[in-house]
Amino acid sequence: MKAPASWIADLAGLPASTSATDIAHRIAGGGFEVASIEGDTIDFEITANRPDCLSIRGLAKEAATAFGVQGSRSPGVQGPTTVQGPGSVRVVVESPLCGRFSLATADVKIGASPTWLADRLTACGVRPINNIVDITNYVMFEMGQPMHAYDVTKVAGAQLVARQARAGEKLKTLDGQDRTLDPSMLVIADRDQVVGIGGVMGGTGSEVSSGTTSIALEAAWFQPATVRATSKKLGLKTEASTRFERGADIGVTTVAIERALQLLEEIGAGHRTSATTDVYPAPVTRAPISLPPSRLARLLGDTVPAADVERILGSLGFDVAPSTDGWMVTPPTGRVDVHREADLIEEVGRHWGVNRIPASFPALRSAPRPSDPGVSRARWIRRVLCGAGLQEAVTFTFMEAAAAAPFSTDPALVTIANPLSEKFAVLRPSIIPGLLDSLIYNRRRGMTNVRLFEAGAVFATSGESQRVAWVLCGVRDGHWSDGPASVDIFDALGVAEVLADGWGLEMTSPYVDHVPGFVRGRTAQLRTDRSIGVVGQIDPAIAEARGLPAGVVVVAGEIDLTALSGDPSSPRKVTPLPRFPAVVRDLSLVLDASLSAATVRATIRQPSCSTLHEVREFDRYQGKGIPDGNISLAYRLTFRDADRTLTDREVDEAMDVIIAALQRECGATVRGL
Amino acid sequence: MSAPSVDALRSQFRAALAAARSPGDLKTLRDQFLSRKHGLVTALVKSIASATPEEKRTLGAASNALKQEIEAALDAREAEVAATAPPKDALDVTLPGRRPLLGRRHPLTQVRERVEDIFVAMGYQVIEGPELEDDWHNFEALNMPAEHPARDMQDTLYLTSPVPVPDGGRAATLLRTHTSGMQIRYMETHEPPVRVIAPGRVYRRDQFDATHTPMFTQIEGLVVDEGISLGDLRGTLNGFAEQFFGGRVATRFRPSFFPYTEPSAELDVECQGCAGKGCNLCKHTGWIEILGCGMVHPAVFEAVGYDSDKYTGFAFGVGIERLALRLYGVDDIRMFYENDLRFLEQVAL
Repeated sequence: MKAPASWIADLAGLPASTSATDIAHRIAGGGFEVASIEGDTIDFEITANRPDCLSIRGLAKEAATAFGVQGSRSPGVQGPTTVQGPGSVRVVVESPLCGRFSLATADVKIGASPTWLADRLTACGVRPINNIVDITNYVMFEMGQPMHAYDVTKVAGAQLVARQARAGEKLKTLDGQDRTLDPSMLVIADRDQVVGIGGVMGGTGSEVSSGTTSIALEAAWFQPATVRATSKKLGLKTEASTRFERGADIGVTTVAIERALQLLEEIGAGHRTSATTDVYPAPVTRAPISLPPSRLARLLGDTVPAADVERILGSLGFDVAPSTDGWMVTPPTGRVDVHREADLIEEVGRHWGVNRIPASFPALRSAPRPSDPGVSRARWIRRVLCGAGLQEAVTFTFMEAAAAAPFSTDPALVTIANPLSEKFAVLRPSIIPGLLDSLIYNRRRGMTNVRLFEAGAVFATSGESQRVAWVLCGVRDGHWSDGPASVDIFDALGVAEVLADGWGLEMTSPYVDHVPGFVRGRTAQLRTDRSIGVVGQIDPAIAEARGLPAGVVVVAGEIDLTALSGDPSSPRKVTPLPRFPAVVRDLSLVLDASLSAATVRATIRQPSCSTLHEVREFDRYQGKGIPDGNISLAYRLTFRDADRTLTDREVDEAMDVIIAALQRECGATVRGL
Repeated sequence: MSAPSVDALRSQFRAALAAARSPGDLKTLRDQFLSRKHGLVTALVKSIASATPEEKRTLGAASNALKQEIEAALDAREAEVAATAPPKDALDVTLPGRRPLLGRRHPLTQVRERVEDIFVAMGYQVIEGPELEDDWHNFEALNMPAEHPARDMQDTLYLTSPVPVPDGGRAATLLRTHTSGMQIRYMETHEPPVRVIAPGRVYRRDQFDATHTPMFTQIEGLVVDEGISLGDLRGTLNGFAEQFFGGRVATRFRPSFFPYTEPSAELDVECQGCAGKGCNLCKHTGWIEILGCGMVHPAVFEAVGYDSDKYTGFAFGVGIERLALRLYGVDDIRMFYENDLRFLEQVAL
């Protein structure tokens, strides 16, 4: 709201010498942010709860209270002036969406406004049009009451009816647009047709023009929700609709008409021809609100002297009457934001000064409750993965459908009904596509080794769940002493293994035929007793479609945290350290290449070999010396007994059992070691 | 040819020795002065032949002494250099080291954890909740009924079709515009006293540019008990600002408006870019707005079934990005979501 400081000073009763900066800062102190001060004009940001301050009168009350001056006054209206003749335009209110409709007529001579009036409108950001339209705008800025002037000769049947529109009714509004109306909208109509959209904009048919000699001045009150809905539906936001949709002052329609007529006389633009017709079916009276000093002190944490409470509320236009327990306070009709005790306390608090209230600290009356387990889990994941050399990323939760779809197992994505753009149209079904885009972003800027992870929510039509995902590309280390060893899916798998350790999970990673987004034959499902995620190589076609240069291998993994229970950061019981030495045996096998390591490992773990403690692959070879279609796998087997030292014979016997099983079940031959 | 004097040769040698660094330098020096064929000292001794017998005696003694001095000095220095020379199998330790791979927490995470830790130390419990919310928890229970003009303050992203929630409550219809919904969820299931913070991602239908983002991170705080006052809110947030920014920092509360608090305020801290004198960062006001806060509106207590006569409380909402912009001296909010390693690798480990 742009407001001339001099106009505020005038209505607030401040000395004319008060500077715009001073006025701006004092009003700002009451909760109205100042966007700019240019010369005499202050641009205030008025919060949605204070439509009364979309007027000079409202701002003047704030200023008078902040400066502590007496004499804030309403615009110079001294009650109804003399009336000549009965009203020539009949007013009918047919819809409860119009709470009050006041109207008076006048004979006018259209011309330009005097400079002082035109200047004030210009300062408020409105272009002067002619003396009549300017007066309606002037009263709106001064009092916050939007007004409308009709050319009486163009009002058919000399009647104005406030009613809901009929389906399909049309109106050309003052901005030249043809509008189609519906029954949710409140309109003003004459005998034949709609002449204005209540609280939003008038129509061209009854517009005041240079030939107009007689006008009807309307000041009405429309239900805020209706104006808001209509304005939204029509995509038409006006100075009037902004005020009505937040709540205009239902108590001042007749005062506004008196003020407009007074201005008409004052600038010699005409004089009234009728008494004010005031249709006000259910007059609003504000109920007094009890304000005990004890409640005021309790909420603020400070005692405001009674005289200050009375001064502040009185100066803001509240009626303050002493009661047995403090005060009974009646808000003015324009203060649509004040309904209960807390609202009054805010009025006192903001003018007393929040910064004057002594700071205290609330006592803890009971032991704090523990935080949600997700908090420590997320911290654990970050600690582990940062320690493992992955960089944490934060990517958008929403993305374009083309990025998300290749990674969704569910054909239906969760979509946003009103996205700002197609780039933010769907919610991520997986964290991987967002990380992939970030990886590509870095790769295209010359960073070749990228290792990113992120933990957060993913979305499916069945609901929201939590995951952690990681993507890697480039070389494993990059030190000058190493060859360029490119990352592969075992780097991604290793990350999963480290995470699974956190939950104490023994993980198997069987081959999985097809996972959306991954290369067939280079993808593993992560399984404990159930599937918890996936690792693999990202399908190059998908990565290239997102902008990755051809030939770059990207591996990734993702774990569903919702499928895991327990807190990985909580302490775990340890097992006692072995007291007797272990015996280590290496075993080199030649096997059919189609056998998986998991199968071989399972075969090695013969139930009768209870002393076999650990089985670990340490070499895999295919090529010269190994028949086609075969591979060589080397295992290191560790035997251990908790209660004694194993003898060579015992271990030999166990090895015999294992080798026999490998020959029988896997068709393995043992290579000489 | 007239040979240099003994003294001149001595000075020449001393200067050359002082400049010699390596075994090679010392060898060159030894050749230059002591070589049997062309050494400078050898030349001096030879020149004695043409001197008078008197001169021969003094010059002979002096040049001999010089020769011995040079030999001794070179021996000593060679031994010294040999003792400190790297062995044959020495490594070039000036090559860069093999760094363990270390990732960093994202700057937004670092700020979030810093804020969380401050409040946890003040006895707060950290709670988390769904990012997809229903109208009740995001608006209605927070004193923003349908058609409330304040809903315009938070332009909302809606889902095309409702999504079920884990607790079987109302299906989610929108992306939460604040984590304030967690206030409601918590109060619906817990009795006072309440002392919680709810961090998380929130969403608004906003442009993505240097100063706006459709997704950001918020930490909402809520305290409810008997007798909680605006003074308690001031003390708590002043304490937070001091711990977060380190040391005493001037703060100022400005009255404001939020539908779910009454009275409402915004907290400014003194601009550290200019120590309150006014600069571009603070738009020449000397103050930077860091959060919104207020006393819980009684209508919110009534929505969750708390006795609004008995209990009072305060709530506040901190924008993590806003704090991070200040902390890292970043002027484009998009940097937090691009995940450019050149940026991320600059923040602390």
